[in-house]
Amino acid sequence: MPYRQYVTRPSGMALGAGFGKAVNVRAALAFALVSGLALSTAQAAEPAADAAARKALQELVPQAKIDKVEQAPLPGYRQVIVGGQLVYVSDDGKYLLQGSLYDTQAKRDLTAARLAVASKEKVDAVSRDKRIVFAPSGKSKYAVTVFTDLDCGYCRKLHSQIAEYNKLGIEVDYLFFPRSGIGTPSYDKAVSVWCAKDRNAAFTAAKAGKDPAPLKCDNPVAEQFTLGTQVGVEGTPTILAPDGTKLGGYLPPDQLLTRLKTLGAPNFAGN
Amino acid sequence: MRLPLFAFGLLLATQVFAATPEETVAKAMATLAPNVKVDAVQESVIPGFYEAIAGGQFIYVSKDGRYVIDGSAYDVANKHDLTAGSRAKARKIALEKVGPEKRIVFAPQAPVASKHTVTVFTDVDCPFCRRFHEQIAQYNAKGITVDYLFYPLSIHPGADKKAEAVWCSKDRANAFTAAMSGADPGSATCPNPVPELTKLAQSLGINGTPTILAPDGTQIPPQIATSPDQLAAELDRLAAASAAKN
Repeated sequence: MPYRQYVTRPSGMALGAGFGKAVNVRAALAFALVSGLALSTAQAAEPAADAAARKALQELVPQAKIDKVEQAPLPGYRQVIVGGQLVYVSDDGKYLLQGSLYDTQAKRDLTAARLAVASKEKVDAVSRDKRIVFAPSGKSKYAVTVFTDLDCGYCRKLHSQIAEYNKLGIEVDYLFFPRSGIGTPSYDKAVSVWCAKDRNAAFTAAKAGKDPAPLKCDNPVAEQFTLGTQVGVEGTPTILAPDGTKLGGYLPPDQLLTRLKTLGAPNFAGN
Repeated sequence: MRLPLFAFGLLLATQVFAATPEETVAKAMATLAPNVKVDAVQESVIPGFYEAIAGGQFIYVSKDGRYVIDGSAYDVANKHDLTAGSRAKARKIALEKVGPEKRIVFAPQAPVASKHTVTVFTDVDCPFCRRFHEQIAQYNAKGITVDYLFYPLSIHPGADKKAEAVWCSKDRANAFTAAMSGADPGSATCPNPVPELTKLAQSLGINGTPTILAPDGTQIPPQIATSPDQLAAELDRLAAASAAKN
């Protein structure tokens, strides 16, 4: 039994077809290693270790857009947030580690925890009027953010159970992530739903397979797609917990509730 | 002279309590995942870390035992995946211990000489394994010997029984080919290496089929391996690369 199943980590999503501009760092690393790509410019006015980390990453993955470089919890290492993923670089810039970093004392997945904080910051910046919100009629116990695509099977399945999620006290805030990318038919549908008079009704109808009447207006769909790539969305649906933890793909209502209840609690043996 | 003596005492104390690499890794993993067996521990080129194999996976454990990284390490300057390199080495060593009597071998026939041997972990009920075997004559024609090791996956119920039945057939190679084209191999039983090979695959972190390994232990991506031409070219390239290293 791999020990992986004992520790809290975002459940992996299968990569669907066509992910727009999302950069998969692992794939890119593998590519860089065989193709030997050129390095680009170094940064100035930073601690030497930060600069070394940037340089290392640019050397291995020139197309990567670095979000942040900071001291890692691990002594002697910097951590780099890039494309919604986290990598560790030795302060001398010689070694790069990618994967999950666990603290055996705190029994925590530090990588997932840091990424959750980064995702939360970004997702919380999206105001409520830019989300399509399905809230319980009573009080919400939890609000999850779900990146969704109108044409994805498990997204539709999730939405077909929206009343059940709500009944359990779970509010679902949708953000659009048309997997095929900006300007594709799925994207156009999302725009049409956004521009409909009754957005929620149009959303539900589209999820049931009814194509929305084509409409255009100012909309946040492209912005949300870009946001998704920055917080590591690799497929749809992607469910984010209130603390930014990526819960993975589709979860039935009762299972989602259980995950939300146990968040933050060390999720080790037996789970 | 007090200070040096005091320092010496400290040094002694740390030595007394210093854990071996094996103990450090075992303790770290015991807190994270008590059921996982640590198979091997060695020094790593990554500063401050040991490299270990636990439950078939490569991990890195900080020398103070506090941190565990489950992932891959890269040498930036050489653009080299260090973990893949270590994994290949471990697999090569393990496979060298698996004798021909535990393999089902499809070798080129004269006048074609065998240039390369690949080891393929396979499952009778895995569609991609079947597709690979459909081309066995072409691999052989390219001078590639294919050594199959049975690795029936638990997602294919009954595949372990089929593997055993194939193994216990009089003409093993023919029974294998027949089963790979969908024929029912029956239900013969006999002493067989299937459970042992399954355990081996798991201990090497192999979790899918077909898994195709080059002679140096490198795992060859399926998109290359499913083309006899590309596989031959890749094996030539790997052989040249390891010749250059030695």
